[in-house]
Amino acid sequence: MSNIEEQELKDRLSLIENMITEGRRTTESWGWTFVLWGVAYYIAIAWSTTGFGWSLWGHNYLAWPVTMISGCILTIWIGTRNVGDRAPTTIGRAISALWMTMGISMFILLLSLSLSGWFNQQAFVAIIAAMLGTTNAASSFILRWKMQFACAVVWWAAASLSCFASIAGSSIIFLVAIFFCQIVFGIYGMVNDSRRRRAAASRQGAFHA
Amino acid sequence: MPELPELNPVIHGKLRLALLSLLSGVEEAEFTWLRSRTGSTDGNLGAQLLKLEEAGYVAVEKKFVQRKPQTLYRMTESGRQALTDYVQALKQLLGAAI
Repeated sequence: MSNIEEQELKDRLSLIENMITEGRRTTESWGWTFVLWGVAYYIAIAWSTTGFGWSLWGHNYLAWPVTMISGCILTIWIGTRNVGDRAPTTIGRAISALWMTMGISMFILLLSLSLSGWFNQQAFVAIIAAMLGTTNAASSFILRWKMQFACAVVWWAAASLSCFASIAGSSIIFLVAIFFCQIVFGIYGMVNDSRRRRAAASRQGAFHA
Repeated sequence: MPELPELNPVIHGKLRLALLSLLSGVEEAEFTWLRSRTGSTDGNLGAQLLKLEEAGYVAVEKKFVQRKPQTLYRMTESGRQALTDYVQALKQLLGAAI
């Protein structure tokens, strides 16, 4: 085999690897959802505490369900607009399923707790934080994303600390965890997405038959 | 001396190889997504996808989403097997060079 033929075959092999990676890359453009949900949590907290001091949330029972339902509608709306000409992957479906089922569980559980009068703010924070920790950790294992696992650790720590904290303390813990694991992590994800897209666009050339 | 394997001519074309590799990493893909990833023209892309479809390596589904036509391509089992065999043959041909 000549050197030219050998190089041609090596190029084919590297083309296969690059294209498979390119296809799988489409699953990771969800940084904006973290920011959106971080803002939704802040709105829910601000709304539920209006007129009652920022650290106590239980006074406006509409605030959390309405904000969470609006968050779901916005996520679906922006998600379907953003999807455009992408291709679904098994990894993408696994991640979506994980977050959707977590959201449904959290909504049913927290709404039932509130309606039944079992509302306890520290437990409320602990449940949300533990569920977010579990989902972030599972997602980080699937995507092999260390930064997301660090978020999971922060959520787990927040869940644990909230059980021992005062009402005001659990609020502070929750607000800090939201800031780092939703807002900062979401912006970091968005910056990564846009860098990757730029790099992919500069790499791309046209293929011919 | 063992015989060197033949490379499947249907897959060996650069664009067809890129298309099959892309489809192997996703469940299904829209025509526009494949076009944006390969940088190919509509005509060329359509022709190469048709060859892959005729070979049974790719399945096509046409539908309307919100009144817009959408063409979805999915890799078939025989397409996956053909790509696997092609990679094996490439590795065998390159031997110690990789």
